[in-house]
Amino acid sequence: MVDRLATSPTATLAVGVRAPTADIYAPQWRNFIFVAPFLFFFTTLLLFPLLWGMWLSFHKADTFSSGNFVGLGNYARLYHDKVFLQSIWNTFYFALLTVPTLALIGLFLALCLNRRTRTAAVLRTLFFSSSVLSVTIVTLIWRIVFIPNVGLLSTIYGWFGATAPAFISDPSLAMIGIAIATIWWCIGLPMMLFLSALQQIPQDIYEAAALDNANRWQTLRSITLPSIKRTFILVIIIQIVLQFQLFGQAWLMTRGGPNNLTKPIVLYIYDTAFRRWDLGLGAAASEILFILILVAAMAQYLVTRSRGDQA
Amino acid sequence: MTADIEIRNVSKQFGAMTVLDHLSLSIRAREFIVFLGPSGCGKSTLLRMIAGLEAVDSGEIAINNERIDHLPPGKRGIAMVFQSYALYPHMTVRDNMAFGLANIGVPGKVIEARINEAARILEMPHLLDRKPGQLSGGQRQRVAIGRAIVKEPKAFLFDEPLSNLDAALRTRTRIELAQLHQRLQSTMIFVTHDQVEAMTLADRIVVMNNRKIDQIGTPMEIYERPATKFVAGFVGAPAMNFVDATLDRSGKNATARFADGISVQTEIASSQLTDDNYTFGIRSEDVRIVAAGQGNADGVVDVLERLGERTLIYARLGDGQQIVGSDAGNSRVAVGDRIGLAFDGQKSHLFNETGRAWHAREA
Amino acid sequence: MSATASIEGRAFGDHLLLALVILLSIVMIAPVLWVIGLSLKDNTELMADPNSVFHAPYTLKNYINTVGTSSVFIWVRNSIIVSGGLTLGTLILSSLAGYGFARLNFPGRDVLFVIVLFGLAVPEQAVLVARHQIFSMLKFHNTYQGLILPGLSAPFGVFLMTQYFKAIPKELDEAAMLDNASRLRIFWKVLLPLTLPAQATLGIFTFLGAWNDYFWPLISATRKDMFTLTVGMASTQTNFAQSEGIGFLMAQAVFAGAPILIVYLFFQKYIVTAVSGAAVR
Repeated sequence: MVDRLATSPTATLAVGVRAPTADIYAPQWRNFIFVAPFLFFFTTLLLFPLLWGMWLSFHKADTFSSGNFVGLGNYARLYHDKVFLQSIWNTFYFALLTVPTLALIGLFLALCLNRRTRTAAVLRTLFFSSSVLSVTIVTLIWRIVFIPNVGLLSTIYGWFGATAPAFISDPSLAMIGIAIATIWWCIGLPMMLFLSALQQIPQDIYEAAALDNANRWQTLRSITLPSIKRTFILVIIIQIVLQFQLFGQAWLMTRGGPNNLTKPIVLYIYDTAFRRWDLGLGAAASEILFILILVAAMAQYLVTRSRGDQA
Repeated sequence: MTADIEIRNVSKQFGAMTVLDHLSLSIRAREFIVFLGPSGCGKSTLLRMIAGLEAVDSGEIAINNERIDHLPPGKRGIAMVFQSYALYPHMTVRDNMAFGLANIGVPGKVIEARINEAARILEMPHLLDRKPGQLSGGQRQRVAIGRAIVKEPKAFLFDEPLSNLDAALRTRTRIELAQLHQRLQSTMIFVTHDQVEAMTLADRIVVMNNRKIDQIGTPMEIYERPATKFVAGFVGAPAMNFVDATLDRSGKNATARFADGISVQTEIASSQLTDDNYTFGIRSEDVRIVAAGQGNADGVVDVLERLGERTLIYARLGDGQQIVGSDAGNSRVAVGDRIGLAFDGQKSHLFNETGRAWHAREA
Repeated sequence: MSATASIEGRAFGDHLLLALVILLSIVMIAPVLWVIGLSLKDNTELMADPNSVFHAPYTLKNYINTVGTSSVFIWVRNSIIVSGGLTLGTLILSSLAGYGFARLNFPGRDVLFVIVLFGLAVPEQAVLVARHQIFSMLKFHNTYQGLILPGLSAPFGVFLMTQYFKAIPKELDEAAMLDNASRLRIFWKVLLPLTLPAQATLGIFTFLGAWNDYFWPLISATRKDMFTLTVGMASTQTNFAQSEGIGFLMAQAVFAGAPILIVYLFFQKYIVTAVSGAAVR
């Protein structure tokens, strides 16, 4: 090596064994160290349980033994279980009550509060504030609103000599009561999503519309609403995903009653898996929910990715 | 500290696209080299390969005869000034300059001394405890240069460092950079697409186009004897006039004939030329304005551009071809006038189909 | 003529909208005021006449009782440990992984990142049953690690930090590499300080989510002394009618809700950013 250097420095450059060239962006195994800690938890506590849950759904299992393979037995049991079918219907019914209402009220509030005044800022803070409370507090508040005799609702009705509707015990009203509490709890998010969409509409479009003598209704219909169409779809999908996971409100306000009429899928899973310890059946029910939510999540993915095309 | 840099047969691909195609280049110690070319010609890529920020796909890069292309960027002993400056936003100016030195274990006392020296050179001692966000664009630029200076590198790399400055500041900083080079006597490589920066700063310019080096030369060589039609058109403002011509090679020097019977006697030896169809090229300052009928061709004035010390005349020939000529600053020519254009045969250029250039014999 | 009409029409429309917004605001506030009012009333008086909320005497007795119930403090402590531990863990894991995915290259990086993104779409309920069984085998139920660890597998933080690291100009890394800094040093000294706003957003979001989480603590913490505040409060709610009285329950609700609302008022910007970001992804 030394000889060669001495005789012909250029020759080493051309002939010598070529050292690997430095490439700071080349894939390297040791870079994996940075993502390894997270991936450990992700794999053991999310991916593995996901697969394990699928496996469980084909077995008859309790807490400590994952017993016999039953094939699609659990799914067949679900199919014939009136309570489960009722819970699916309940979940859809609940989503139908809450999702459009949340989207429309959220849009209305966003349109009204999208201005730079102090009052608007205070009101935005107010309408989002309920979102930071835990489900326990929200249900506590709304049970005390709905409760007969001392409840806020019955007090107000009392002033007019009327009897308040029994939002928790009346079979036809119970789900509506839960929906009202949920809308009160969740209204902040759709409002904020609409607000941020409204703020992204370029101001000069409005100036152009004003120069064209468009009135407010025309401006709203032909400029504002078309600009936030994508956000509207997004809000709907996000809310479907969220409201499909209804559990705390139903469990704490009505225990799923009366007559299982307010029992959503998640409550069914909870009952089956963690109160009756039929883990296989519970797992099967959660796979059904997973598929329903996955469909919505895929729709959301498609809507989010199509951003570029619309802009 | 200074160093010569040797680039041998270097190529670079991004996926299926070749960005640099077997380039070779020798940079001498203490030289100020400018890579000049349009965006996408690979000049920044070449600079980043010297810095170690891009891998070398094939070929070699050596500093002072030692190969460096297998070394990580921090071990190459070079400093780089980025177009965006890339100052660390959360560190003070002092910490920005100290970071690289601390990383190689330079003692605190030495770091302190070097920072003060650099701050003195760049006239910014009062800025040392500020953060980049509190500085103007020009001040950030100085800090970026200061960060390079304190490392006492073998070579300085500049990636379009002036493009984020406004016009006045750009001119001032250009002059300061030239002074800095005088003072530090260090090898500097400067990438730009601005031919004025290249002409004013460079000892030698490397004109790059389309994955290749078109020409390496001093600014005046590049300007007066461009190696290709691309270089001729890219360097100089306004761009060189190009006219399709057929050649009469019967004499000692070739005569170029244009479409409507205009002819120019060049001083380019016929013996070098093998074909009949060439592009004739001439710069605007080599086209004098004379009375109609007195020059090689007549034209009608389209547009006047008064630059103060001279006036650019855009004239249209009979066949519609536009030629830019040059007249005195106080030229009396007016738009619509019929004028004569006199071409300087000594300063004429011919380009063949591949873009290769021929010039008059050197005086 | 027509101009006047349209101005009047506009004024009328404005009033209508204003009335609607005020009505909705009342719906937002009234239940909370009602709850606060009840919490300040003696139970027997309340049972006799609900309208007594609107007049004196008011009392702090219910709050004294709440604070006097030792369990509440244990639950608050549990919630602080669980939420704090999860927040710290999430910030560390997400920052490291975010830097890794955004800035470093390693074999299989892009595939791994897609898998992590897919994890965003997995609802908690789909892994709950299996997770519960695994934790039973590991004897993790009714422990702090049992309450903290599941949250560490959530991909949202990694997603957020990856996006944030990607938005930082790459020239900073390159300048630091020319300054001979190692990858770890670039992460620690150059990039991490720049992610502070994202750390704040993610930290507050994670803390809030853990504090309010109900489902996993409900099934994992079955011993009263391991309840988080959310689960503990729910457990006292169940015997609603015959419990220590409505005023007492309401005092608990205020006691549990007020700190969160105060935190919200201070960190509103970060919370709104985080919640919206988590929803849209």
